[in-house]
Amino acid sequence: MVLGTYKEALSARSTDKQIQKISQDGGIVTALLSFALDEKIIDGAVVAGPGEDMWKPVPKVAMTSDEILAAAGTKYTLSPNVWTLKEAVRQYGLEKVGTVAIPCQTMGIRKMQSYPFGVRFVADKIALIVGIYCMENFPFESLRTFISEKMGVSPELVEKMDIGKGKFWVHTADETLSIPLKETHGYEQNGCNVCLDYVAELADLSTGSVGSPDGWSTVLTRTDAGDSIFKQAVEAGLIETKPMADVKPGLGLLEKLAKEKKEKNQKTIDDRIAIGLPVPYKASTEKEDPLANY
Amino acid sequence: MSETKVISPTSRQEGHAELVMEVDDEGIVTKGRYLSITPVRGLEKIVTGKAPETAPVICQRICGVCPIPHTLASVEAMDDSLGIEPPKAGKQLRELTLMAHHVNSHAIHHFLVAPDIVPEDLMVTAINSVSEIRKNAQYVVDMVAGEGIHPSDVRIGGMASNISELARKRLYTRLRALQPKVDEHVELIAGLVLDADFPEGLGSHDQPTVASDGLYGNREFFDLDRFTEVMPESWYKDPEIGKKACSTIPLYDGVSVEVGPRARAVEYRGFKEKGVVAQHIARALEMKSALSRAIAILDDLNTSAPANVGNFDVRGTGKLGKGVIEGPRGMDVHMAQVGENGKTEFYSALVPTTWNIPTMGPATEGFHHEYGPHVIRAYDPCLSCATHVIVIDDDDRSILKEDMVRL
Ligand SMILES: Cc1cc2nc3c(=O)[nH]c(=O)nc-3n(C[C@H](O)[C@H](O)[C@H](O)COP(=O)(O)OP(=O)(O)OC[C@H]3O[C@@H](n4cnc5c(N)ncnc54)[C@H](O)[C@@H]3O)c2cc1C
Ligand code: SF4
Repeated sequence: MVLGTYKEALSARSTDKQIQKISQDGGIVTALLSFALDEKIIDGAVVAGPGEDMWKPVPKVAMTSDEILAAAGTKYTLSPNVWTLKEAVRQYGLEKVGTVAIPCQTMGIRKMQSYPFGVRFVADKIALIVGIYCMENFPFESLRTFISEKMGVSPELVEKMDIGKGKFWVHTADETLSIPLKETHGYEQNGCNVCLDYVAELADLSTGSVGSPDGWSTVLTRTDAGDSIFKQAVEAGLIETKPMADVKPGLGLLEKLAKEKKEKNQKTIDDRIAIGLPVPYKASTEKEDPLANY
Repeated sequence: MSETKVISPTSRQEGHAELVMEVDDEGIVTKGRYLSITPVRGLEKIVTGKAPETAPVICQRICGVCPIPHTLASVEAMDDSLGIEPPKAGKQLRELTLMAHHVNSHAIHHFLVAPDIVPEDLMVTAINSVSEIRKNAQYVVDMVAGEGIHPSDVRIGGMASNISELARKRLYTRLRALQPKVDEHVELIAGLVLDADFPEGLGSHDQPTVASDGLYGNREFFDLDRFTEVMPESWYKDPEIGKKACSTIPLYDGVSVEVGPRARAVEYRGFKEKGVVAQHIARALEMKSALSRAIAILDDLNTSAPANVGNFDVRGTGKLGKGVIEGPRGMDVHMAQVGENGKTEFYSALVPTTWNIPTMGPATEGFHHEYGPHVIRAYDPCLSCATHVIVIDDDDRSILKEDMVRL
């Protein structure tokens, strides 16, 4: 199963106009975390908040819906959210922490929950992980370099960044620019080339743009907790949904991209293992399902 | 005919020590000596030559029973050497951490002495009470200092960060709710100690009490000129014991002293009693004082104020900095000197029980040797202290070198 274990796949978006306006896709992450906060399912959330430099996020313990909203939108660089979970429990005093995590961060959190080494009383306080899809991520200097050098625009002028239709897009106040994704290759983090998870397979629920039309998100509900909170938000009228079968391009595209990522990166893993490099994954020959995420 | 009774190691305490008692025909102790036999670890040597930030991280590992005082004494010694004055909120959070630790640590001691004072039918009640108190006290240390055992967030210049308003309120509510529980616990323990039938005057001695502060600690109090240190050989007079003892003997104004809860109560709270029962009572009562202080700090704390000075210059002035903290077991002094190259040039720690060691042995005198261990446990000793080593020739067992390797 290239999308991991999931209960339901739906196309969805937030019904809140303000969230629609500033969020990356369907505003699912912002809508769900705010809903969970209002319903006291969580008492705070670690999000990729704005930092001093434009587009360089700083993990933030958000204690209000406004703070969650202020962190909306994708930043295509590292935001070490996992690092801040401990602070959320300790100095912030949270007992039910929510967070948004890309797949590798989700794996880190689940590992931390299995082996709570150095995180005494932290791992058990993580109440909700909203996973977001991820093909690759860029160190900040990489991102800054290809935006300013290849696309010729200063990051300060950029209002939104996006990946879609094989291109990397930047929107400024008065123009939309793009370069083919191929041009960004080599700028991604080295680790992304051996990453087998596209859709945050271990999250409580996962979301991303691929599979749904613009302004909508594709949601995969996974755990009981994730499924239940999503249903509650839909029932409360905060999120509207459509069956995946009714939207274009549909789940097929998500499966295709997930499979491509796994195949390409498993090959890199195999190559690296063959020349004796340490890789935290098994060679395809050692696995029953060569596309499994381990 | 005099006889020698040796208890080695003494039990229900942290670290390894030996109690050597000479007793007369009736079994009454005529000479008592208590000595540390905890092996050398060399922590003071490890931090020398390293960045000042290393010292608190390493030195808190002196002990898992009282890591908080060591961390605090270490950062305060560094603050002093580097000429740093932490902001008010930073100081309050440090104090809050120590207050919670006093409550926790004293509760642990009650667990350790339970077999001596708690009757069978109350054992479960007493132990549950200890656990309940510890759980809440450690929650405070976790939240304020980052980690309950070896706190990561007590830093040179203050604390790593302030706590959130939500955390402040949570801690406040939780500690207020703990108050009746602690009152009940103190009453239980005090009652049991009085019922325990310790003979009148057990453990009482005429050595002075020394405490730098009623609860927290004060570097101005500790006067290096009043402090001397003698090697165990010259103190114990018995060459066998002198050779075996692992700690130096610290003296204040030339005499051995008592530090700890009773000393603080005598020096700052008008307490007059002496001996084993008085030590237990003073320790139990101190839980209430520490808890009230913790609640007062939480009441006053401004959670939006900075808790750290921020950047500081690690190039020291060469000043010998002092960090003097009242640990649950007594005054804990760390001294540090940071050189112009930003590295620790000198580091020394005078840990609480080291002060008490020379006083504890003689305090067993005049009573039956069966009471010896009770006298020792009343100090809640923790033996992770300065260590004295000798190098012996393997063939003829002659002493080649005597040295002080600290901690
Ligand atoms: C590096 C990266 C690569 C991605 N690649 C893909 C992809 O290939 N295909 C796809 O369909 N979707 C991808 N996404 C997800 C997509 O861009 C959106 O983030 C997702 O659809 C959520 O949109 P939303 O409108 O629901 O969220 P919003 O309501 O806009 O909220 C977004 C949330 O994500 C958090 N966030 C932003 N940047 C980061 C970051 N760097 N690290 C961790 N958290 C962050 C924010 O704090 C915010 O809470 C990627 C996201 C990232 C961060
Ligand atoms: S591709 Fe994998 S490793 Fe790279 S950022 Fe995304 S989830 Fe993390």
